[in-house]
Amino acid sequence: MSTLKRTWKVNGQTVPIRAPAGRRLLDVLRDDLGLVGTKESCGEGECGACTVIVDNEPVVSCLIPAGQLPDGTAILTIEGIEKTRIGRLIQRAFLECGAVQCGFCIPGMVVSSYALLVKNPRPSTPAIREGLAGNLCRCTGYTKIIQAVKLAAARLPKRK
Amino acid sequence: MKITETIDIRFPKTLAEALRLQAGEKTRGQLLAGGTDLMVQWASGAPTPERATSIWNLPELDAIEIFDDFIEVGAGVTHAFLRDAAPIHRHLPALVAAAATIGAAQIQARGTLGGNAANASPAGDTAPALLVSGGSVLLASRSGTRTVPLDRFWTAYRRIDAQPDEIIVAFRLPRKGSARERFRKIGTRRAQAISKVMAASRIRIVKGRVTSAAIALGSIAPTPVRLSAVESLLVGQKLTPALIDEAEQLAQATVQPIDDIRSSADYRRWASGRLVRDALENL
Amino acid sequence: MTKPQSPPRRLIGQGMMRVDGDGKVRGTTRYLNDLAYRGLLHGAVVRSPVPRGLLKGITPDPDYDWSGITFVTAADIPGINVVHMHDRTMPLLAELGGEIRYRGEPVGVVAARTPERAAAAAAHIRLDIEVLPPLLTLQEAVAVFKARPGAFDSMKDQSIVKGDLARGFAEADDVLEAEYWAGHQEQLYLENQGLIVFPQKDGSILVEGSIQCPYFPVHELNDPLQLPPEKIRVRQTPIGGAFGGKEDYPTMLTGYAALPALKSGRPVKITYERNEDILFTPKRHPVWVRYKTGFKKDGTLTAIECDFLLDGGAYLTLSDVVMFRGILHCALAYRCDNVTIRGRVARTNSMPCGAFRGFGAPQAIWGLESHLDAIAARLGKPPHLYRLQVHARPGDVTPTGQVLSGENGSTACLKLALQRADFARKLKRCSRGRLRRGQAKWYGIGLAFFGHGAAFTGDGEAKFKAKGRVELTRLADGRPGIDIRVSSTEMGQGVHTVFTQIAADALSLDPGRIRFPLADTGLTPNSGPTVASRTTMVVGNVVHRAALDLKRQIESFASRRHFKGAAVELRRSQLVAPGRPPLPFARVARDMLAELGGASGFFQFELPPETKWDQQAFVGDSYPGYSWSANIAEIEIDPLTCEIDVKRVTAVLDIGRVINPVTASGQVEGGLTQALGYALLEKIGTGRNGLYDAARLQTYIIPTARDIPEFDVQFVEYPYTFAPPGAKGLGELPMDGLAPAIANAVEAATGRRIRTLPITPEAIFAALHPAQGAPAS
Repeated sequence: MSTLKRTWKVNGQTVPIRAPAGRRLLDVLRDDLGLVGTKESCGEGECGACTVIVDNEPVVSCLIPAGQLPDGTAILTIEGIEKTRIGRLIQRAFLECGAVQCGFCIPGMVVSSYALLVKNPRPSTPAIREGLAGNLCRCTGYTKIIQAVKLAAARLPKRK
Repeated sequence: MKITETIDIRFPKTLAEALRLQAGEKTRGQLLAGGTDLMVQWASGAPTPERATSIWNLPELDAIEIFDDFIEVGAGVTHAFLRDAAPIHRHLPALVAAAATIGAAQIQARGTLGGNAANASPAGDTAPALLVSGGSVLLASRSGTRTVPLDRFWTAYRRIDAQPDEIIVAFRLPRKGSARERFRKIGTRRAQAISKVMAASRIRIVKGRVTSAAIALGSIAPTPVRLSAVESLLVGQKLTPALIDEAEQLAQATVQPIDDIRSSADYRRWASGRLVRDALENL
Repeated sequence: MTKPQSPPRRLIGQGMMRVDGDGKVRGTTRYLNDLAYRGLLHGAVVRSPVPRGLLKGITPDPDYDWSGITFVTAADIPGINVVHMHDRTMPLLAELGGEIRYRGEPVGVVAARTPERAAAAAAHIRLDIEVLPPLLTLQEAVAVFKARPGAFDSMKDQSIVKGDLARGFAEADDVLEAEYWAGHQEQLYLENQGLIVFPQKDGSILVEGSIQCPYFPVHELNDPLQLPPEKIRVRQTPIGGAFGGKEDYPTMLTGYAALPALKSGRPVKITYERNEDILFTPKRHPVWVRYKTGFKKDGTLTAIECDFLLDGGAYLTLSDVVMFRGILHCALAYRCDNVTIRGRVARTNSMPCGAFRGFGAPQAIWGLESHLDAIAARLGKPPHLYRLQVHARPGDVTPTGQVLSGENGSTACLKLALQRADFARKLKRCSRGRLRRGQAKWYGIGLAFFGHGAAFTGDGEAKFKAKGRVELTRLADGRPGIDIRVSSTEMGQGVHTVFTQIAADALSLDPGRIRFPLADTGLTPNSGPTVASRTTMVVGNVVHRAALDLKRQIESFASRRHFKGAAVELRRSQLVAPGRPPLPFARVARDMLAELGGASGFFQFELPPETKWDQQAFVGDSYPGYSWSANIAEIEIDPLTCEIDVKRVTAVLDIGRVINPVTASGQVEGGLTQALGYALLEKIGTGRNGLYDAARLQTYIIPTARDIPEFDVQFVEYPYTFAPPGAKGLGELPMDGLAPAIANAVEAATGRRIRTLPITPEAIFAALHPAQGAPAS
């Protein structure tokens, strides 16, 4: 079994990684780096609670062996989201719209919303539903979450 | 220690290196692309291999090239990349539509076309669209490359025509040209769904008559299948309501689906015909 | 007793932002698995591999390395091997020589340094079991019930009788009989079950975990653990969803973890992965319900006869009360003088079913609301006009003889829902199996109307006497503030926010000065479990009254200490007396804390003294109050594939005073979405091996963001004036009625009635093509 020696950029900071190559990204984040904002619920890529952003794409961190991420990989987790302007807008909109209940899906939901708005700053309602379809929520019925993403999008600075 | 940590995963940087690593291997499960199937299988208690070779991000597998007659899609191309690759949308619309129904954004970002084909699930979402293109798979090994027509690629339940030392490099997919394509999936829900039945079709009509027809179904047999009897029925004919009725019934008579957790054999048989109708009515 | 004067309302009725939202959107809220502890052992449960058999031997593999591993069986139980629950029959661990009654029944617990090592060790326990034939499903139990009633194994029977059924049928012009089925439903909270038991030096245990009802482990495990309630202390960690799923089960889990913890002297954590959580924790009870109804030509219901049969699983646990709530809702919402309802809990060789939002009521309402549409169809009356004709309203008498009070928005819910959904007009557009002009898909609209009894059944609240305190204290910033001390748990539903609003209004203080610590049975009075749609109604009243009590104490202290005996009022964070300059609350509170050390307001809930309930006869006031709702579903079905698309859902609810319209509508949208899953997607069967067939999130299908309809949620407020601020039950109501509303819409769209949940495309196909498809059971 090979042990990795890698350097990633996690939430903007350069972080050395030492782990078995097959360790799930989720476990590296939670157990090795203490970034426990990312949640595990199903462990098989169905629920989206462990969603993080790797090199600008939203991914489920439970299905990625750490070894597949080379040196320099940029990872953004819920802990890094609030350092971004879009992230803060999303978090505020979630609170204002009442989009949060038990909260367990919310870090993943916020990260997916971020990934969506970075790619598509003016998403239609179907685009929001599609962008969040990989994140299961059992409390809210999604309605207020969708409203929150719309609200955050409306507050994004206009591009010329 | 989690189960995936017990696997010795190697990370070649080039295809040549990967082929060298695979040269002595006995089973195919040791090739790991985006992990959206294998990591799930391993986590859910399926037997794990001692070693695996990661072919994620191999530069040789990542390209899409447009040629005059066909498109060559690298096996490492993700479903998200396919969706974003606008220039190919008009050439392979069924494949792009199929890719868009896989999982959700997170799975599409990691799942690859090669992985979907190699996993060889009867419910593999891209397989029917690949089949109707009439294309082929490019396989490479240390001893060279070979081409397998897609309609001979899936040989049995979860089996493909590839040796343990071979890696899927690309798919050579004829452009649809003037033909029309359609893809429709009936899933367990509207997103993040595994299919109950799905159909892809590529049909060319010239002066009111069908000149070529390819229709493929997924999730109704141990492998994705072409409906050759229905295709033969259609070619040379005008698409009248009576012919569409006949095609629907022939499809239903041809398929032999099973009951499983996602659907019933009866429904699948019926829906197979309905999706053929859908394809023919929406050309 | 004089009712307290309500202070001017400021926060109640407003959508105040969640008090626990910040940590949740930032990912800083620490759930159980986010907390790091040193020196934990991890427990793995050793389970029966067969659904039924005699346990003849438990043998640890002698060739396995057992060093560092603690293994317990029933022989390690310090006291009596029984979990109290409701009938003291379920062993904590299967007893050697005893009968295994369900697949996965715990036989032992292994604890080791890592979860992986524990799981590996658990696989090395050899069980010698003489296999016996199981009865696995409700279908099998109902077959026995119909063919050989004497052989039917019921764990609990209860009837409700009103009037004279025979006379009712004699008066009827027509009779309609039908059966309705529904299967299990999994709560599917996103955070799996988990807790840690810390053994203490004095022999007591401290439990921390995702526990909906912290006082349950305190009172349910005294016999097996030989620990009195004061030696079992439970602290709640933030709960990542529960929906009833963490009501009864954490008691068992506490027992499983406590045994190796007590034996090893080390803290033991058990946390399930999703697969184990779905396979081996309780679900909503499958139901079979048979209605036989008599009615006159004008629609008057003259007789309702109902058999209501739940699959309780292998042990009763709390299924008796689930069945009680079920039968109390089987004929609640309609006028009828002659009613007989017979409830039963079937014993099967399956995991005991448990609490899930609605608690028997959704199963009852599924049958009743489907059946009522069928009666309307038989009468040739539109379903909405028929409901307007026969629905229960103030002054009507329920099947148990309770007179419905005037605090009842039943009619208002129906009328507003019909109006907002434009029901009457759209009903005419329904396809009934044939596309109308302009329709590409079959269109259907369906209605359900229902009530939900709020709080404990019968005199439960009178016996329980929910207690709570509101304390003056120093907050983390060193300045004075308020702690709310009740055992109601925040599971996402918003109780921390809503109680902060209630306390802030009662005290006339800034909500920022009010804190609501997580429940800790060592510090928090027992205000009861967070169940039964009772929390805002009953415990909200306790908080309100305890806060008023504290307010009076603060005012009287200020009067004495700062205002020379003048009458003083705490108003908007100031102590004010006529003709004197006001003093800030902080100043007075600091003095109060310095001189008295603290202060707390207390209240204990009581029902109105005229409440009457006879538990034996099931006669009387079955609930303190009723919430009401009407749901309307608009659907499209693709004739090509029978796929169902719920386009729009209108829900109008009378939940009494709405404390926070944002959290309330969030509860409704979420509950409706669970009901949507129940209606259409969530299918879980049992294999011959006794295991559920949909044991992963890949196979147990819940709605995604793309599966939900547009929701129109409206409230009509008929407050429960006995208990200010006047809320009635909310949590369960949204789960109750959407499934039959959708079934009624499916009937309107296709012309076929589906009588089994979930209503899948396969079921619709089978109903439309009876020759081709298997009948829908």
